[in-house]
Amino acid sequence: MRALLTSAHKELRLLARDYAGLLVLFLMPVTLVVVITLVQENILQLSGQRPTEICVQDDDQGPFAHGLTAYLQTGKLEAVPWTGSADELRQAVTAGTCQAALILEQGASARLQQQIDRQLAGDATSKSPSLALDLLFDPATMVGFRAGIFARVQMAAQATELEMKATRLGARLTAQAGAGTPAGNGSGEDLRALFSRSLTTIAEQSGHSSQSSMDEILNPVDRNVPAWALFGMFFTAIPIAGTILTERQSGVALRLTAMPVSPISLLAGKMFAYLGVCVVQFILIALVGIYLFPHLGLQAFSLPINPLSLLLPVCASSLAACGFGVCLGSVCRSYEQASTLGATIVVAAAAMGGIMVPVYAMPPLMQQLSILSPLSWAITCFSDLLIRGNPWESTLPDLGRLVAFSAVMLIISWKRAYR
Amino acid sequence: MKVSQAYIADPAIEAEALSRHYKGQPEPAVDRFSLTIAKGEFYGLLGPNGAGKTTIMSMLAGLQPPDSGAVRIHGMRYGRHTRLIQSKIGFVPQELALYQRLTGMENIWYFARLLGLRGKEIKSRIEQSLEFCQLQDRARQPVATYSGGMKRRLNLAIGLLNDPWILFLDEPTVGVDTQSRHLIHQQLRRLQQTGTTILYTTHYLEEAQELCSRVGILDQGRILKEGAPELLLQRSEYQNLEEIFLELTGNALRDH
Repeated sequence: MRALLTSAHKELRLLARDYAGLLVLFLMPVTLVVVITLVQENILQLSGQRPTEICVQDDDQGPFAHGLTAYLQTGKLEAVPWTGSADELRQAVTAGTCQAALILEQGASARLQQQIDRQLAGDATSKSPSLALDLLFDPATMVGFRAGIFARVQMAAQATELEMKATRLGARLTAQAGAGTPAGNGSGEDLRALFSRSLTTIAEQSGHSSQSSMDEILNPVDRNVPAWALFGMFFTAIPIAGTILTERQSGVALRLTAMPVSPISLLAGKMFAYLGVCVVQFILIALVGIYLFPHLGLQAFSLPINPLSLLLPVCASSLAACGFGVCLGSVCRSYEQASTLGATIVVAAAAMGGIMVPVYAMPPLMQQLSILSPLSWAITCFSDLLIRGNPWESTLPDLGRLVAFSAVMLIISWKRAYR
Repeated sequence: MKVSQAYIADPAIEAEALSRHYKGQPEPAVDRFSLTIAKGEFYGLLGPNGAGKTTIMSMLAGLQPPDSGAVRIHGMRYGRHTRLIQSKIGFVPQELALYQRLTGMENIWYFARLLGLRGKEIKSRIEQSLEFCQLQDRARQPVATYSGGMKRRLNLAIGLLNDPWILFLDEPTVGVDTQSRHLIHQQLRRLQQTGTTILYTTHYLEEAQELCSRVGILDQGRILKEGAPELLLQRSEYQNLEEIFLELTGNALRDH
């Protein structure tokens, strides 16, 4: 018992003098809990307890549009007016700037009112739907998210339509009563038809004009495979950091410092080696997605038409992960510090970056913060290529961010790694 | 080569008033330290723990800059000529600066490549180095399986890969058995005969007395006494360097 207490005493003394270690032990878990808790709040959003934004292009400006917008609001969908053109809205949805959008065409209210009047007049041709609403979705959104929004938009459209029908019917009955004429040829059957047959339909589309059917392009595996591959890639930061720390502890770093070789070259060499590791890691995960997933009852991972287009995001993401590893090894004083700090940062960055939960489903604050995570830049590149079907050029801004991040990490490490 | 005069016409290493004060320490580790070492000289820097030996060696080898003062290696200063100086010096740290999971041959190959050796040159240098540290039989085995003496010999061999003008040795025989130490001594003597300048720190005073052409006894970052070991002994009533050392630095423990 005495040995145990003495040992515990010694450990506590050691810990009390390791300020960085204390920071890792206490501050990092707190940070992690805060980040994860904030990210998990999206469950509230998906379950309808928090308002979800939907961009609305209102070219109608009539009673149908006003009524629909009001009903969307009560259905916990926050209608954000879109001021650009319909094409610009489609582009925003394709780019993932806007996850859901609704286009209300010019004259929609007038057309609906005409149809209602014809229905009230007993015109049989008015029974078929006459107003089609385009509901656009970012192809990278989850099926559950889309189904939720679709149902709420449909409900709001039907409620608005019913309200308009009731108003027209009331007006018609009032006019007939005032004129002392009997109710027209509208029977009970016609009234039932009036209220049971909807005149509006909703067409669910992706932002792409060429890919109008969502079913053809949606595959959750296409998001999950790169997402978790990225998570794994960034975890290689810990062994990279370990190599630097081992060199420092063994005296190799001293020997290297005395040699006519730049630390940047040595660090870049490490990054290069681990870049290869990360690329192989991604290929392996992709192969599992392609060949093993179907045997497990999952959809297969689908490569883009030009699989080589994935090479750039894979390399840029690997470079960012390796840069982070080099920086981690340069900043930390021990392997224990590096592994704890590294794991915490990777998990937090993954959560913030939309690896665990899509960014659009996060609270507004976390959506803002997500742009700081390299994993967010990386997953955006993959989503653009694999899910949205965008050309590789569209990924250039995010690729640039990843490479710049890597360069910054390397510069930070330059003077510190072999100090 | 015995050098004990204050003026050295053809210096390999010149240190002028080097000072280094570490943050949080009440006293400077090195305080206006000056030293001139002639080309081909075997200089021993002796001192108790914390005397500043490693700090001085680090500054002379360009591993850390002094707070003030200047270092010249063969007349060249660090900064402008850092890369050239680094290509002409060998540094053997006190730690076993080796990759434990690599073999002896792979370690030599890696450091030789960093020194710019290529092709046939690198192959012959690997063979020479393995012969130097007598590890030919174990060349293809991981360093982790070597004994302490084998690692020390390999550590030294890697410091010599570039045929350095100056070799910095920080306690190269710590924890080494008698046979390995004997071999290391032999190799160091041979090196000196080829004209290599050696700056060396050690706690083994009999070793310094045997090997060094000149020693400097150091404490609190300053040289207390300097000269050829036999001259120091002639001018004192002591029998060996250890007695002079204790007289100068005292009997009190330094690492308490």
